[in-house]
Formats: sequence, structure tokens, C-alpha cells
Amino acid sequence: MTIDLHAEFGSAAGRPALPKERSHKRLRSRRFWPFLVPALIVLTAITVVPWAFTLWMSVREFTVGGTNEFVGLANYARLLVDARFSEAIWHTLFYTFLSVLLPLIFGTLAALVLHREFPLRGLVRGIFVLPMMATPVAIALVWTMMFHPQLGVLNYLLSLVGIEPQGWVFHPATVIPSLILVETWQWTPLVALIVLGGLAVIPREPYESAEIDGAGAWMKFRYITWPMILPFLMIAVIIRMIDALKSFDIIYAITQGGPGTASETINIYLYSVAFSYYNIGYGSAIAVVFFVLVVAISLAMLVLRQKLHWNEMAGAP
Amino acid sequence: MIVAGGGSLLVRRLTLLLSVLAIVSPAILFFLWMLSLSLKYEIDNAAYPPVFFPDRIAWKNYASVFESNGFLSIFWNSVIVTGSATLIALLVGVPAGYAIARMKATKMAAVVLIARMTPGLSYLIPLFLLFQWLGLLGTLAPQIIAHLVLTVPIVIWIMIGYFETTPMDLEEAAAIDGASSWQVFRHVALPIAKPGITVALILAVIFSWNNFVFGIVLAGRQTRTLPVAVYNMISFEQLSWGPLAAAALIVTFPVLVLTVFAQRQIVAGLTAGAVKDG
Amino acid sequence: MSISRRRFMQGSVAGAAGLLTGAVPAFSANVDWRRYAGTKLEANLIKSPRGELLQKYAKEFFDLTGIEVASEVIPEQQQRQKAVIELGSGKPNFDIVHLSYHVQKRQFDKAGWLADISGFMKDPTLTDASLTESDFSKVGLDYAKNQAGELRSLPWSVDYFIVYWNKELFAKKGLSFPTSFDELASHAEALTDAKAGIYGIVGRGLKNANVALYGHLLLGYDVEALDKSGRLTTDTPEGIAAATYYQRLLTKSAPPGVAGFNWAECQSAFVQGRAAMWIDGVGFAPPLEDPEKSRVVGKVGYSVMPKGPKAQGSATYGDGIGIAATSKNKEAAYLYCQWAVSKLMGARLLQTGGGVPFRNSILNDAEVRKGVKMPGDWVDAVSGSGKVGRPGLPVIIPVAEFRDIIGIALTNTLSGADPAAEMKKATEQFKPILEKSEKA
Repeated sequence: MTIDLHAEFGSAAGRPALPKERSHKRLRSRRFWPFLVPALIVLTAITVVPWAFTLWMSVREFTVGGTNEFVGLANYARLLVDARFSEAIWHTLFYTFLSVLLPLIFGTLAALVLHREFPLRGLVRGIFVLPMMATPVAIALVWTMMFHPQLGVLNYLLSLVGIEPQGWVFHPATVIPSLILVETWQWTPLVALIVLGGLAVIPREPYESAEIDGAGAWMKFRYITWPMILPFLMIAVIIRMIDALKSFDIIYAITQGGPGTASETINIYLYSVAFSYYNIGYGSAIAVVFFVLVVAISLAMLVLRQKLHWNEMAGAP
Repeated sequence: MIVAGGGSLLVRRLTLLLSVLAIVSPAILFFLWMLSLSLKYEIDNAAYPPVFFPDRIAWKNYASVFESNGFLSIFWNSVIVTGSATLIALLVGVPAGYAIARMKATKMAAVVLIARMTPGLSYLIPLFLLFQWLGLLGTLAPQIIAHLVLTVPIVIWIMIGYFETTPMDLEEAAAIDGASSWQVFRHVALPIAKPGITVALILAVIFSWNNFVFGIVLAGRQTRTLPVAVYNMISFEQLSWGPLAAAALIVTFPVLVLTVFAQRQIVAGLTAGAVKDG
Repeated sequence: MSISRRRFMQGSVAGAAGLLTGAVPAFSANVDWRRYAGTKLEANLIKSPRGELLQKYAKEFFDLTGIEVASEVIPEQQQRQKAVIELGSGKPNFDIVHLSYHVQKRQFDKAGWLADISGFMKDPTLTDASLTESDFSKVGLDYAKNQAGELRSLPWSVDYFIVYWNKELFAKKGLSFPTSFDELASHAEALTDAKAGIYGIVGRGLKNANVALYGHLLLGYDVEALDKSGRLTTDTPEGIAAATYYQRLLTKSAPPGVAGFNWAECQSAFVQGRAAMWIDGVGFAPPLEDPEKSRVVGKVGYSVMPKGPKAQGSATYGDGIGIAATSKNKEAAYLYCQWAVSKLMGARLLQTGGGVPFRNSILNDAEVRKGVKMPGDWVDAVSGSGKVGRPGLPVIIPVAEFRDIIGIALTNTLSGADPAAEMKKATEQFKPILEKSEKA
């Protein structure tokens, strides 16, 4: 899941194919189609069918054990005036923004360290990636215990250094930052791994010649490392963003959107509407809008990335 | 090296050591605390200031998880669901990744991407009704099929990345010698891509094993998987942080072991996949 | 099966019961308990002392009837969701379902998901003579019957909101248990010592869950969330007064972070001796007296909620057990439900403090009471609350939305929002949802 968006959208796309190349490509395509068909069948069955169904339900007043009738775009109209929904959008965007940014910063720093040679590096890397491998629900439950304002270990640790106890996920003002802390803890390793991949391919020569020119560490980072890992950071951003937008397990298991609606993201609200209020029609409309939002943001990022990519190419000698 | 500063060798060594400690401590401290919670009685778990090293160890937290009804069958359910979803994903995903990489089929990759962007929740109701209509509820099939939503895209993406990095000279040579596309794939491309398949397998296993959302609605009494079972341990009217932490650790344990043993492949695979664009 | 075998089984069950309580009658012999032997049933239960009790003694039911029951217990929230989705789909995978009246009654009635068991109740070969409608308390019977007066489930366990209080902390300050709402609040404030980490009171602040507490406080103003004519009272002077009182309790003398507390966080604070009072359901008591979980064993007082400005009340919530209308084994399932609310199982429920049976014959049985493992205060609080018990939540379909919308408003008051404005806004927001659901 990590790697590959840029491949399609970076290297293959954007460049107009020459006529000769194009016919060649068509020929090759025929050869490879059979390899693709089983996956397409599976993907279609598990995504297109549910999607058609969701669209169909989104134009109906459909509650479990209640009505089921066509209402046109009424559900969508309701979304426009639903204050809880617009609030959830802001929560989602805020949550996503920091859940991308913080792992990005820490992940890059961690990668710079982990890239160096030191004893037991393999073991350290193994331990470092544990959080992203662990079961989110299980992790979330342990965090909940740690966040407890009176009995949790976090406030105890703060008290040791003289900071007064915090409300963490139990206070509306701190709930989203606290959840982002968990998200950052869990997903920093992913960003680091992607950046490590970038660092691994940087050739040694530029550094050597920079050293001969007397460049300092910062100069080397700024003018050699940074441009080289930038494309990888963009991949990390896109992957992290899709996941953060859809984040469910952690929020659901820790706060279920509370206190009040202070941490209610679109996904959590969608769950409440569909599975607590049993309003499947309205829930489907939310799902459709949510999906459009996720795709729109992701595509915007992809386009941005491609632009960046081309600027770099243009800038290259 | 990349961020190496000035100063004496000793200072640099020390800085590196401290940085490494800073990087791994969040993970280490968290899992140690989780372990500690799982080994304490409730009264110590809810104590303040927190008890780090209890006087008595509550092995019974683990015993109670293993004794709780159907733990083994729940574990087995998880194994079957994750195993099948991963296997199917590899069977269809590896050839698909190969085809997309060789065809440079950008649009196809985007379609796969959209499957990944879809919020898992929006699959739930349609799939529930669909499976009920098919009479499959009560079996593990609904969850296996739902988990394909997670595993197939992962496998395809990893494999696209991998196949793009493998050299095509051999394949072309084989094709000129008259090998069929299948033969080229089976005997030339596949063996080279083994490390990529390993990574795809590991990640598919982890994502499927950890999945929680599908289980909430699609799993029944006999088809529950571990993450759902753990969440269900938050029992009403009873405090049970200890058993909860024990269960959480048990669920995560297989994945953690897999990570520690296969960290070399995971790290190498995740990074190597990204190499080609560099 | 021969009759003698059956008699023997009944005898042994009675014997076991006898050991527990002294004199609980056996299962009556005029009911042919083994008529459906060999039947297989599925039961969908809530993870609670009620559900767990049924699982624990499942073998006894099998020995008595030869009916195999595969049951699962799932946490309340998921169980409610799953039960509704499965019932709504028309093909539930279970025969027997554990329902929460205070959340689901109206929804289940309207959808007609449960089988009418009025007929079974009247059939002496199917129903033990001691099980009569009049044995259930009125609240329970109201919950179980639909508008047409048909019995759609058996009332199983009732839950009253009471006050748990830490006698030691009270004694330190020289205070006695409060006798009015005002005194309760001022005591709570006097008992608070934030520096020492001790707070006067703890209660549900988490949205949705907190409406159970709010509904309880409303009764002190002599109103329920929905008045007799079906109007919401949450924005009336009484409704706002209750919200203001709620705000006072949970801001002036409750621990920080209470806005995120459900019963579990409250319980943790209370068992650690960090809260002097806790208002919540009676069923939460057993861990307080368990030395492995509690630092306040033997120091806990259990009391009926003091009188409010206008009335004394205790919010009453309840569980029932019913049969899916689609079940093919309704009679066998009925035997299971009957067993679940039987005198034997009811006595066990009460005696372990896991719940309070709706049946007066169990509650008022001196022998049963003797076996109760909880302190005497607890039993007194239970029976005292029973006398002033009223529903704590409106009996409507969109209970979950009501709890969310009103609950959000209440949580907002904890961060300083004006109760009147919040309650008015929330009530306005909920009104159309209620109207729509009643029309459908």
C-alpha cells in the first residue's frame, strides 16, 4: 500500500506517448489482460456492487424496521443544513492535517537517524515499526486507560515534571490533539520507512563532491537530501492522508466521538447515523459525500505531487 | 553522512545513541506499560500513583482470557479469515500487479486506488444485506470477502512497485525464445519478485488481522475474530483493565512476533518498492 | 424421557436452589419442561450480570429441558445495534433476544419484531403457575406490553439510579447523607479537595450516557422527559433547572475530565476512594465490595436519591427477554425466557447484586433477601427506589438520537455553556426527529 501511487501518477502518466509506442503498448496490453481479469472481477464485486447499493439507498428514506421510500435528493439537502455534519467535516480536516503533518516531521527525523550505521540497527528498526503493526483497537484501549485524568499514567508522568494534570481525551479542548498523539505514535514508523526508502537510493557522489566544496551538514541536507527525499515525502503524505481521513478504529474505541461531539469525524458520525439511529438512507448520503471528499482531496494531492515532480525535472540540468 | 554535524567522535556517538533512544522509547515504553497492566490486579491497575512493579502478579488475567468461552475458536476464526483473505489476494493480486506494471496501465492503478480510498464503513450495510440474501451469514465467508477489500489493493500496489523495479531484459529474452506470457510470468518474473511477494503477504496479513470494522457487523457468535472479541471484553458493570490489557496483548502478539522476525523483509520491501522512482 | 428422570432432574435443580437460598421452590411439575428436548436455540444477550448469569447456569437449563441454547454475550451498544439490524433484515440469526426497554421498547413494538407471548402465559402446560402478569411490577409490565396490550417479552431485570457514597470521606468532614438536592450539591462541594485529588461527586458526563443521569435528576422536578401529552419537557423551566443542577454538580465538585466519563470511569474513581458520591444504577455495586477491585470495601453507603425541589424520584431502566417473531421454536424459546425470569434465576440475580428482578414474589421473599451478598443498605436502597421509580428516558423510537442530542447539550454545559440556551437549542433540534418518527 505504501509505495506505488507515484509510479503510476509520476513516471507513467503525463508524458504523451509516441504513436509507435502507443501501438506497441496496445499489443503488450493484450498479452497482459488475462493476468488482470481475476483481480478486476474481485474488485468489482467487492466495491462496485456495494457502491451501487449505497447510491441507491442514499436517495431513499430508509430506516431499519421503518420506512423505505424514494425521497430524491432530500437526504443530500438535509446534509447542507446539518450542523453536526459540517462540524464533523472540520474535525476531520483538522484531525487529518495534524495526523499527516506530525508523523511526517517525526518520521523524517527518525529516518535520518535510522539510516545511519550503528550496532543492533536491525533490532532497533524492528522495535521502531511495532506501533504501526499492532492491532489498533487493542492499542486504543490501552491508551484510553493511560489517558484517564485521575488514574492514568500520563498525568502521573506529567506530575513528575511539575505539569498539572490534563484532561486528554476527556476534555473537549484536548480530545482531538490527544487522539492525534495516538495516531502519530502509531503511524510515524510508516513515514519513516518510506523516507528510509528514499534515503537508500541517494548516491554518495553528491555528498562527496559537496564535502570537497566545503559544504556543512545543513547545506548538504538542504540541497542534496531534501530534494531527493521530497518525492517520497509526497507519497507518505498521500498515503497518510487517505488513512487519516478514514480513521475509525482509534477514535471509535477511545472516545466514540466525544466528549459531546468534540472528536466526531465524518466517519464516526456516519457510523452513528447508520448504526445507532438506523437511518440507512441518510447514512448512505453521508458515505457518498464523504467518499467524494476523500477522492477529491487525494486527487488534489496527486496533482500537486505531479506538478512538484515536473518542476524538479525542469530544474534539473 | 546525511545529518552528521561537527564535534568530536564521542559527542557524535553520544548524540546518535540518544537519538536512537528517543526514537524507540515511545514504542518500548508503551508496550512495557501494556505488559504491566496485563500482569496486575485491578486494584493495582487503578491505583494512583501508578504501580509499576506489583507485589503480586496477576497471571489470572491471561488465564481468564484463554479460559473465556471460545477463545481458541475465535483465534482460529482470525487465522482462517486472515489466511484466506491473504491467499486469495496473492492469487489475484500478484498477476494483476504484474500486468499493470508491464502495461503501464495508469488508469487501472487509479481504480485500485479508489477501492482503497473508500471508507470501510460504506461497505458494511450493502455487504450485510447481500450476504444475508445469499444466506452466507453465520459462516466466515462474509468476513473473508470483506477483508479482500483490504488485502487485494495492498497486494496489487506492492507488486506493481516490485515488478517495475525488476529488469525486463530476461523476460524479453524469454519471450523471443518463444515462451508464452504465462511461462514468462511463472518462470522468469515470479521468482525474481519473491521478496516483494513476502512483503505483500506480511502487510496483507497484518492489515487483515487488525481489522475491526467488518467484524462488528458481519461477525456472529461463531464467526467472531480477535479484534472484535477484545473490544467485547469491555464489559458492562465490571472493571477489567487487566484482562483487557492481557487480551489486547494476546491479539497483537502474533503480529508483533511477525514484525520482529520479518523486520528485515518488511523494511527492505517497503523501502525497495519505493526505490524505482528515486 | 421417562417421567421419573424428569422428576429427578427437577429435584436436583430444586436442591441446588435450596443450598443457595434456603427455600426457593422447584420448577413446577405441571409444566412439561422436556416437551421440546433436543431443540436447538440461539440467544443474543447483553454482556451484563444478567446475560452472564444465564450463560453461567446454561447447563442447568439443559438438564431441566434438554433444549440446547447457544448464547452469546456482547457489550450493550454492539448488541443493541446488531439485534436491530438483524431483526430489521427480517431474518435474525437468533431465537431469543435480550432487550433494553428504555432504549428499544417503542422501536420493537412498532416494528413488531417480537412474538406475542400472551397466549403462552395463559397455557398452564407451558407456564409455571407462579408466573403471572400481576407478579411483575407495573413499570415492568408497561414496558413488556405493546399498545394493544399484548405481552411481547418478559420483564427481567430493573435498574434504579441510586447514590453511592463513601462513608469514610463523609465522616472526615462530619457530614451525614444529604436530604435534598441542595444539600447534596453543597455536601459535594464541601467534600471536594482538589489538591488531594478527592472530589465530592462523580457521574456520567459523556454524551448519550449522561442522559440517563439527567433523566434521573428531572424526576426531582416532578417531570419526565416526555409529558403525558407527548411534549418534550427538556426546554421547560423544570427541564432547564435539572440541566442547571446537573451542570452545578459536575462542574463544581466533580473531577476534571468528567465530560468524558461513562459509568466505567466513574466507577474507577469511586472504588479508588477519590469520589465521595456517585449517582448511577444499582447494578454497578458488586465490584465496590470486591477487595480485588476496590479500596472502599465496607465503606460504601447505598441510598435512595434525596428529594428534589418538587418530588423524590429514581430513574428506572429495565431489561427484558423476548422471542423473535421469526423464530421457528417459539415454545422452546419461551421456556428459556421463563427460566431466565424464574424465581431461582431471579433470586441469584438479586443475591449477587447483578440486577433486580421485576417480580415482586422474588423481591419480597424474606428467604431470598437473606441470601443477598450485598450490604443491607443496598437492599434498602433498591426497595426504597422501587417505591419512587419512574422511567428515566422517554419511550419513543429515536431514543439514541434523543440521548445524543440532549447529551451533547449537557456535555456542553460542562465546559461552561448556558444550560437554558443549550437545552432550548437541543430540544428544537430533536423535535422534528420525534415528530417524524411518530408519523412513520
